[in-house]
Amino acid sequence: MKNTLGLVFFPAFDWMISPTHPERQERLLYTRDQLEEEGLFDCEEIKEYRPRLAQINDLQRAHVGVPGIARLITPAHLASAGGCLTAADAVMRKEVKRAFALVRPPGHHAMRVVHGIRGFCTVNIEAIMVEYLRSRYGVRKIAVIDTDVHHGDGSQDVFYHDPNTLYISFHQDGRTLYPGTGFPEEAGSPGAWGTNINLPLLPGTGDEGLHRLYDGLISHILEDFQPELIINSAGQDNHFSDPLASMAVTAQGYARLADKLQADIAVLEGGYSVESALPYVNTGIILAMAGMDYSKVLEPDMSELRKQDPRCNKRVDQLIEQVGDLYFNRERTRKELLQKCNGVWQRKKHIYYDEEGIREQQVETVRYCKSCGGYFTIQTAAEDTRFGDQSAFIVCLPRDICPSCRQRAYDEALREKKTGRWQYVFVQQIVDGFIETI
Amino acid sequence: MLLGIDVGGTFTDAVVVADKQILTQAKVPTNHGDVLQSILAALDKVLLDGVAQSVQRVVISSTIVTNALTENKIEPVFLAVMTGPGMNVKGKFPVKPYFVSGYVDHRGKITAQIDWTKHRDLLAAKGNGVCAASGKFAVRQPQNEYLLEHELRKCGYTKVFLGSELSGELNFVRRTNSAYFAAAVYKVFDKFCQKVKLAMANRCITAPIHILKADGGTLPLDVALEQPVEAVFTGPAASVLGIEALAAPKVNSISLDVGGTTTDIAFWEKGLPLMAKRGASINGYPTAVRAFHMRSIGIGGDSRITKLADSYQVGPEREGAAAAIGGSVATLSDALIVAGYVCFGDERKAWQAIAQLGGEPAVEARKIVASAVAQITATIKEMLAEWAKQPVYTVDDVIRGTEFEPDQLIGVGGGSLGLVRAVGEAMNLPVEIPQGAMVANAIGAALARPTLSAGLRADTTDGYYIIPESGKRERLPSGFSQRVAEKLLADWLRKQAVDWQLPDQEVELISCEHFRTIHSYYDTGDIFNLRMQLKPGILHKISGREVEL
Repeated sequence: MKNTLGLVFFPAFDWMISPTHPERQERLLYTRDQLEEEGLFDCEEIKEYRPRLAQINDLQRAHVGVPGIARLITPAHLASAGGCLTAADAVMRKEVKRAFALVRPPGHHAMRVVHGIRGFCTVNIEAIMVEYLRSRYGVRKIAVIDTDVHHGDGSQDVFYHDPNTLYISFHQDGRTLYPGTGFPEEAGSPGAWGTNINLPLLPGTGDEGLHRLYDGLISHILEDFQPELIINSAGQDNHFSDPLASMAVTAQGYARLADKLQADIAVLEGGYSVESALPYVNTGIILAMAGMDYSKVLEPDMSELRKQDPRCNKRVDQLIEQVGDLYFNRERTRKELLQKCNGVWQRKKHIYYDEEGIREQQVETVRYCKSCGGYFTIQTAAEDTRFGDQSAFIVCLPRDICPSCRQRAYDEALREKKTGRWQYVFVQQIVDGFIETI
Repeated sequence: MLLGIDVGGTFTDAVVVADKQILTQAKVPTNHGDVLQSILAALDKVLLDGVAQSVQRVVISSTIVTNALTENKIEPVFLAVMTGPGMNVKGKFPVKPYFVSGYVDHRGKITAQIDWTKHRDLLAAKGNGVCAASGKFAVRQPQNEYLLEHELRKCGYTKVFLGSELSGELNFVRRTNSAYFAAAVYKVFDKFCQKVKLAMANRCITAPIHILKADGGTLPLDVALEQPVEAVFTGPAASVLGIEALAAPKVNSISLDVGGTTTDIAFWEKGLPLMAKRGASINGYPTAVRAFHMRSIGIGGDSRITKLADSYQVGPEREGAAAAIGGSVATLSDALIVAGYVCFGDERKAWQAIAQLGGEPAVEARKIVASAVAQITATIKEMLAEWAKQPVYTVDDVIRGTEFEPDQLIGVGGGSLGLVRAVGEAMNLPVEIPQGAMVANAIGAALARPTLSAGLRADTTDGYYIIPESGKRERLPSGFSQRVAEKLLADWLRKQAVDWQLPDQEVELISCEHFRTIHSYYDTGDIFNLRMQLKPGILHKISGREVEL
């Protein structure tokens, strides 16, 4: 393959959440200028793609919108999700070796059930792409490495019951940053225990700590998991100049990580130092993914960069040990947990939508089966959405569901409908993104 | 009275246009060893007695720059670059550059001054002749480039080409290559210009002499000397302008200019040819030279036919004249005759020549035509795909799409009639063949309008605006707005047009971006990026009829 990197660059210059919001038109302006000025689009190692528009069904493989996903999104979301699908196609058709969807709006805080915007995200563009890769190309084992400074709680939520998706997120400790989650104990539901890896880092962690963590743990987990595809949720707010977070990673740190990771597909997530970080981090990641020399990519102004505190490495070493144990013993733990829960596992969640002030209560129930992966249901009640208070009972049917589970799932949906407790009763077919209203 | 001269691969054409009619035209063989001689031979043929004084403008489309580049008859050039941090530029330029310190960031802030203590070797060197210098983001802040130019002149370089003076648009690598090639062809082009001026003076032509550019515009010779690389690839540009003069397609069209050896393909929208979004490549290096979105493929009426196992290969070599008009071997034209797409010459001879290939002539001829058509449609498809992949920056663009959907084909050139009909059949598109296309390229040259475009970037946080093409960075006037920005830029374009003695032309806005800049949730200012141009195209259409040669 002569072209090694497919680049979908879509800065959405006409989309914003609000005029002074970090997700505003200006966000990728300087990145565009830098990429153009460097002449990256002329490199024969880089092939440019334009995003297509995703279909509603593409979104619904990963999401159930209340009252419907189409009423919650803007066309920009179809373009950014579509950009990810374009990147996936380019790689799967072997037109390019890797691809980078440098698109906005971002998505990793969007959970399966969507009532509105949270953490700047409405739909989860990586999750949509993962489900597309499975349905369209039959890819099974996928690893998603989230390098955004915030915990990707949306991605965690979508993949929580899926043992074939390894989700690894390192981020600034949730006790010091939105969304406040992402601790090692959140390791997946019993059937998928150990495939949800959270690595909360101390504020101030820089290139040194990050690569210590990658070399000491993440690379070993990836090697063990043997994914068919590696996806990078390439958030860039671990940068030392990011205004919303407190980490100390540089463009070189990010580029070297991209080089080690050699992700098949990268997708832009957060990163709000639009002027001092994004132009350089993106240039670095693109060069690294295209197999080109990135060693000369440096921020012109490094005066804000502080030396990493010794405590940061100590935290990294703790994580390497603790999470390493968790991951490499996952099969045993899984058996124990499944035995203990006796076929039904349940959790309650309180979800806050920071953008819109929505409070949502969820009860998620997984029902296991001996001949398939089972199915799960979500009871949701949300207050103060743009549609008022709303509630729904949702049944999610995974790809490998057996006929008897399918029957049980529909029976349950019908039973819930009859109770009259819910405004909406939905059945989500993950395989094709078809959502049935019962 | 307008005079146009086009130096082509085989012939040099000249034409005099008056009152929207072709007054005289001439065709002479091109002498590649002496392009000027061909120009003058054609010129003398059209220059009837007493006409010289009434000529208002001469436009020359010449291969002089293209030839110098392809035949490597260029000057050695010293190239100095200020890359700062970023992509490794190894292998991006035709020569190994000298690296100068200093950096400007994307907002146009000088983040590093040139550290002259690191460049004692450069300052001590004895330079002579021409050189090129270019800095990253110099179009946002050219000061470092100017300082470098100053020092290079002190070293003894008489002519320094700056990246920011050759293009006002972003793309450091392209600007640098443009500056390099401008320097490399400067002497050849300068010599050519002197000779042309002298020859015109000898013929009592006092009208301004313009040179055609790759983007279909013209420049007076003296101005062109400041950017000689723009005079590359003018042949295809002249062809496009010729089509515009003769046909001016109103609907979305694809034009095929079918010559003896090659076919030039271009796209048309709203009566104007589409421009390539990024510049032309020269000797494999991307430059900032603006050019049309077009391709040349090695298929023409005189193309050689090679028999393969069950099909034929057409081109890319030229065989010679068709058997129907006295050639010895079958060419694509003969196949088109036999397959019934066109009739000219001695039809019997065409059949005989095709029969020599073996098999049933009518069947074989269809196979040959099909092969040529397949190559052309494949190229068109590639061009369509390339166009569809143009960058999109807004949601609106994604929804609207920038796909180009052709409604018709236009055929010009000697071999066009039959071949374009066959392509039209394959693509299911109607075909238009405008009248009088014998000297279309020279007509195109004669009627070309000067092109001039410029950008303005204003950063109100910074308090300055820059028109990179002018090289000047000025304080923003009070009460600045987009309207004011448009006026500043339009005024500059008009003034430049007067300085360059260009005819009065309308100024139009090509693109406009406006961003609010925010720091910590507070508005800090606005960024405006505008581009405007003198309306491109041709001076006027021409009514079809040709004059006898």
